[in-house]
Amino acid sequence: MTTMTKRNRNRLLMKVGVILGLVAGAMFAGFPILWMLSSSFKSNGEIFEFPPRLVTEDFSFGAYLSILTDPTKVRFFVNSYVVAIAVTLLTLFVAIMAAYAFSRFEFRGKRIINVVIVSVQAVPPITLLIPYFGLVVVLGLYNTYPGLILTYMVFTLPYAIIMMTGYFNTLPRELDEAVRMDGAGSMTALWKVLVPIAVPGIVSVGIYTFMIAWNEYLFALTLTKTEDMRTVPIGIQLLMGQHSYQWNEIMAMSILGSVPVLILFLFFQRYFMGGLASGSVKS
Amino acid sequence: MSKDARARRGTFRLLGVLATAATLAATAGCAASGSSESSDGTVTLEFAQWWEPELPEGALRGMMDDFEAQNPGIKVNLLSGPYASTKEQLFAGAAAGTMSDVVGLDGAWVSDFAKQGALADLSALMADAGFDDSELASQIQVDGSTYMIPAVNFVYPLFTNDDLLSKAGISAPPTNRTEFAAAAKAVSALGDNTSGWILPLSQEAPNGIQNDVMSWTWASGGSMLKDGQPDLTNDDVKSAVEFVQGMWNDGSIAPGSFTMKEQDKVEEFSNGRVGMMIDSLAHINLLRENDPNLKFSISAIPAEDGFTGERGIPYASWGIGVSDSSAHPAEAFKLVQYLMSEKVNSELSTVANAFPGNTKSVPDFSNSDPLFQTAFDIYKAGYPANEFTGLPVAEDLMRSFDGQFQSLLNGDQSVDETLENAQKEWESQF
Amino acid sequence: MTSSSVDRTLRAPGRFSKARRGSEPYAFILPTALLITVLMIVPIVMVIGYSFSDNVITNKHPELVWLANYAEVLGDPVFHTAVINTVVFTVGSVAAHLVLGLAFAMMLNTQLLSRFTKALFRTVYILPWLFTAAVIAVLWRLLLSPNGVVNYLLDSTGIASGQVEWLSNPDLALGSVTFINIWAGYPFFMISLLAGLQGIPHDLYEAATVDGANGIQKFFSVTIPQLRPIIISMLLLDLIWTSQQFALIWMTTGGGPINVTEMLSTYTYKLAFSRYEFALASTSAVLVLALSMVLAVFYVRHQRARD
Repeated sequence: MTTMTKRNRNRLLMKVGVILGLVAGAMFAGFPILWMLSSSFKSNGEIFEFPPRLVTEDFSFGAYLSILTDPTKVRFFVNSYVVAIAVTLLTLFVAIMAAYAFSRFEFRGKRIINVVIVSVQAVPPITLLIPYFGLVVVLGLYNTYPGLILTYMVFTLPYAIIMMTGYFNTLPRELDEAVRMDGAGSMTALWKVLVPIAVPGIVSVGIYTFMIAWNEYLFALTLTKTEDMRTVPIGIQLLMGQHSYQWNEIMAMSILGSVPVLILFLFFQRYFMGGLASGSVKS
Repeated sequence: MSKDARARRGTFRLLGVLATAATLAATAGCAASGSSESSDGTVTLEFAQWWEPELPEGALRGMMDDFEAQNPGIKVNLLSGPYASTKEQLFAGAAAGTMSDVVGLDGAWVSDFAKQGALADLSALMADAGFDDSELASQIQVDGSTYMIPAVNFVYPLFTNDDLLSKAGISAPPTNRTEFAAAAKAVSALGDNTSGWILPLSQEAPNGIQNDVMSWTWASGGSMLKDGQPDLTNDDVKSAVEFVQGMWNDGSIAPGSFTMKEQDKVEEFSNGRVGMMIDSLAHINLLRENDPNLKFSISAIPAEDGFTGERGIPYASWGIGVSDSSAHPAEAFKLVQYLMSEKVNSELSTVANAFPGNTKSVPDFSNSDPLFQTAFDIYKAGYPANEFTGLPVAEDLMRSFDGQFQSLLNGDQSVDETLENAQKEWESQF
Repeated sequence: MTSSSVDRTLRAPGRFSKARRGSEPYAFILPTALLITVLMIVPIVMVIGYSFSDNVITNKHPELVWLANYAEVLGDPVFHTAVINTVVFTVGSVAAHLVLGLAFAMMLNTQLLSRFTKALFRTVYILPWLFTAAVIAVLWRLLLSPNGVVNYLLDSTGIASGQVEWLSNPDLALGSVTFINIWAGYPFFMISLLAGLQGIPHDLYEAATVDGANGIQKFFSVTIPQLRPIIISMLLLDLIWTSQQFALIWMTTGGGPINVTEMLSTYTYKLAFSRYEFALASTSAVLVLALSMVLAVFYVRHQRARD
């Protein structure tokens, strides 16, 4: 009896502790974004007033309207979606195959390929810019979607492969070996057995890949030239002028850019909830 | 064939692809640049600049439409990018041979692009076109040839907040350094987070060195160069640096200097936290917009006590140049000529809130703020001064001076050490 | 204990893998190899080539100078400062990313709260991830400005007073920039670890409970060993990425005040686009690449030892 109440009390204490911790963390994570949201409704002058206020009398949706009614800026959003979605799907497809090879096979050159994949990420993009740009022009990919998509894939693949290899490594090999022993090919073992179990990992890699493609600025700017090819981060930087910034529009455009990503995350986050993966892993 | 052999052959094939790609990339420099010619002989020029987003919507496009109407057979494609990245983009474009035919330039970049061979010699193009350059207010030359023509100039006079100054007991904008320092001190003494002066010294965009530090030297007729070589240890530079250091030590400068940028000045000023700033005229409209009740004046940058000569006023330009790799340099120059023509240049300077690069052009102030007329009078009374324009690695010169200057204000070194160190760093770049 | 039995399951029976040696794995990595080779190795090889030449790009006919650029960069005191700052910034950021990411992931994975509450917090926690570096920099400049809301809140709660210059005080700038980077980067760890936590079989915890382990013991004997492969991969990636962080630093401090936040990335940028010394910039990039190669070799060794 006493141990039961003690355990209940402990449970309650732990719950309070977790909630307090979560609230503190949420303030750390969310306050800057709250301030961004608040600034997007202010006038440029009010953003800098002291003492600062969360809501001001000039509260207005003006910044949002001026972005949403500008067809050029709406086009930036469309471009960002096209590129980010294509990059995510292609990266996942290519990375899952490579990760499967790394996780389930021993082959000559495995180590050296691994070292290359890990370390190519280490070259500062700013120094790659000029030779890379020359290459893209020669390949005829300048100012095209494929140019941007392939570029981002090069940046997202190493991460995706490393993480997917890690996830596959945590899955017991008996699972896919058994399928292959039954006579099915490696492709079946991979796509019919491993991939469905690895969904949480795939989703988290996918979200990450999407973020990279969505937020990249330097190459998006260099590899495109016309307004119908440019992406949201460039649109945001265009608001940072030579003499002054459109502060409220910068904030509004960032918020607008983040909402669809947030919805995507909300939709996929059920894959992070307990039970889904762990149940099937039990063998 | 064994699997191993097949794999090896695959590797060889891959190496072959690699080698081909590398060769192709190496020859990228020879690729043709921006412009294109369609089958009916219409030439489409690319005009890369950061101006379009800075101007009222459609203003620049409208001018291009007029140009196309006047020049059948030439079309203009406006390519706009963010100002902060323009330089890298031009540099990368020049290296890959994709630079646009006509490009917007800043005076601080010209020398480097010219040396890279990215810009066409405008002196030659002007001669070919039989263009009379007597109307041009200035031309930016490197080794005797023109590479950039300033289309419009933004001058940087002194802005003073009338209310704050009168609250501090000062009735008129200061005209010399002593008055300025006293006014700055008095405004800072008002408390309530107010400061006398604002000094942006961010190393990301170190043009504060040009507009807010060296401008004190130029306003008193001084120079930081001697025969085109750095001369930072002269008395004019030294007294300006000592003057700024004095205000820093008085606590008259708004906090946050070391990471502040030009764009931050106007926000602090319009919120009434700063009494005085040296700032671009382009900001007048923004100040009005931010706070319609703000009362402020414009005056010349104060000079050394007792100085009676002509005062230099710092300025920044929107310059134009032509790409060296342009396939249609003659057409490209027509666009330059058009933008520099009396009427179009007046129009451009009016919409940009700037002063024209054509001496005959007169901006139309009838619809704009009366302060523009005041500023135009100040501009006419002095001379435009920006010694960084056309210098090699101009931005890096500002940046290295900035680093030394921050060390000085931080109390790490003396004025003499600062100037000697900066002089040494500059000499190694010339 | 239980974890070791799982380790044994994870270590696959060698006979299958050794038997399947043929060309199949090459087919699986072919698309990756092709992309990385054409679009990454080629430019990298060109950068390495630049690093042995004199003043490429600006000079039409660069000369081969072999190691002169390396001597110049390695002898530059600013480079040394940049290395030290980069190490401080990177290690600080990565350590905090791991601790925060793990703490948040554990809290979000708790059984104590309802699904809805957890979903709500999860959404808030991922927010810093949704924004491009330029916006994060602009936002934090706003928050941390001397007259900004952070100072206002600290002042009105009595924690600190006055106009603290978070970014422009040479004593605070490096710490502030690191803090911003911690804020911007932890969701990456959190999400990956959250996904990893889902993969830990419940019976491991149940077995540990039967063995009489308390919460902390379970954390160290089950959770950490199970997450180890993910944590190690992420530490490596984050080390490499953070050491390259450019936009955030450039747009908040520009490497200043003086040079307290000068990193390898800002140093390289200045060489390339401020001084137009592209050969020196390439040299600095190759040095960074060489360092990361060492890291990568250790990582791959470790991977193999674990298999």
